[in-house]
Amino acid sequence: MKITTMLFVSEFEELWFDALQSLLGLRKAGLNHVVFLHVIQREKVAMRRGTGYLKQEERKLREIADIRFIDWAETLFEEGMEVGAHIAIGNVVPKILSVTEIERVDLIVTARLKKGKLGELFAGSETSDLLRRAVKPVLIYNYASVSGKVGEDPFERLLLAIDWSVSSEKVLDFVLALKGSVKRVEIIHVLSEKEIGKLSKMEAHKVERENKKRLDEVCDVFAKERFDARPHLYIGNTEEQIVRGAAEHRATMIVVGTKKSSVWKEKWSGSVSHALADRSELPLLVIPADA
Amino acid sequence: MGKKVLNVEDDADIRTFVSTIVEETGHIPILAKDGEEGMQKVRGERPDLIILDILMPKESGIKMYHELKSDPSLKNIPVVMLSGVSKRTFLRSQVALTEFGDETVPEPEAYLEKPVEPEDLSEILNKILS
Repeated sequence: MKITTMLFVSEFEELWFDALQSLLGLRKAGLNHVVFLHVIQREKVAMRRGTGYLKQEERKLREIADIRFIDWAETLFEEGMEVGAHIAIGNVVPKILSVTEIERVDLIVTARLKKGKLGELFAGSETSDLLRRAVKPVLIYNYASVSGKVGEDPFERLLLAIDWSVSSEKVLDFVLALKGSVKRVEIIHVLSEKEIGKLSKMEAHKVERENKKRLDEVCDVFAKERFDARPHLYIGNTEEQIVRGAAEHRATMIVVGTKKSSVWKEKWSGSVSHALADRSELPLLVIPADA
Repeated sequence: MGKKVLNVEDDADIRTFVSTIVEETGHIPILAKDGEEGMQKVRGERPDLIILDILMPKESGIKMYHELKSDPSLKNIPVVMLSGVSKRTFLRSQVALTEFGDETVPEPEAYLEKPVEPEDLSEILNKILS
């Protein structure tokens, strides 16, 4: 699973060119094509009583996006990269999915996407919607500091959260293909405190030992490919422990897999990847099981 | 008899603007929305001139120009660049592509930065196609 084409979705207020530049280390792993997408929300230009469709407003917003993209594209073109741009009107998630297909994108990069409060109550956030529907890896880019400055390459020190599922295997395969762009990999598995609590001391130790062994085996695979990989076994709430592990090991990005589930199942039973997408302060890379 | 002018441009308003000028100068406009469609039209229609934008979906004008000038059967078709991207960037990008192992790519017949005046575009069309 190589990354040659990256879709960079920008609302301009939340994701800037510095974020894109921080991702250009992926060129070492084959990135050579960046596609920009800006979606003008329909309500900004929608029909209104007395004024009708705001054609002039649409022109102005398109022009602003065009000027911004040309400025960004010039830097990339001069470095020998291929650049494309889409400016569309409508709902952001369907547009992302359609451009992903048209441009044969390998990685989608976006900031957290917002939806109205009522919409989030019934349908979850736009980000969750994207994660549920995307068949390509999605990088939710969060600026890690309050000043909005991005100091480092998010792919430098990855925290890989794995649960031995098929989607975790996808995560491992994906990161292994990024050889050259990743300096260090912290591999974490979180045991459920509840489940461990039900076991005898002896059984709990056995479970711990088995998981440590499996983590070591995964690290060996990475070591063979010349990655600096370290295993970590945590116990507790999965989402909290992943965030803690990322902080303790100074990770620059969290990488998780995701499984397909319905909106309602996800809403009531929860999903680690979706919860992290809404709350993580670090950039989060989500690899779908069917990527 | 009018000559075929292919305009590769993703902005519908600019496609209409260019088509009008091409027709007014007595030539036949052919339209493409991106570089990929542009290359298909070049091979199918064999235009006498190409007016090419740069920042577009699917395939940029920079890649398309490089492809045109690297193909012996297409390299003699004159190209007028019409873009918001500066000429300096265009030339640097071609050098960057050349550095990746290809031969040196010649400069386009004309480079117009948007927005362009109708008179300037007709003058260039007349000059190249006469």
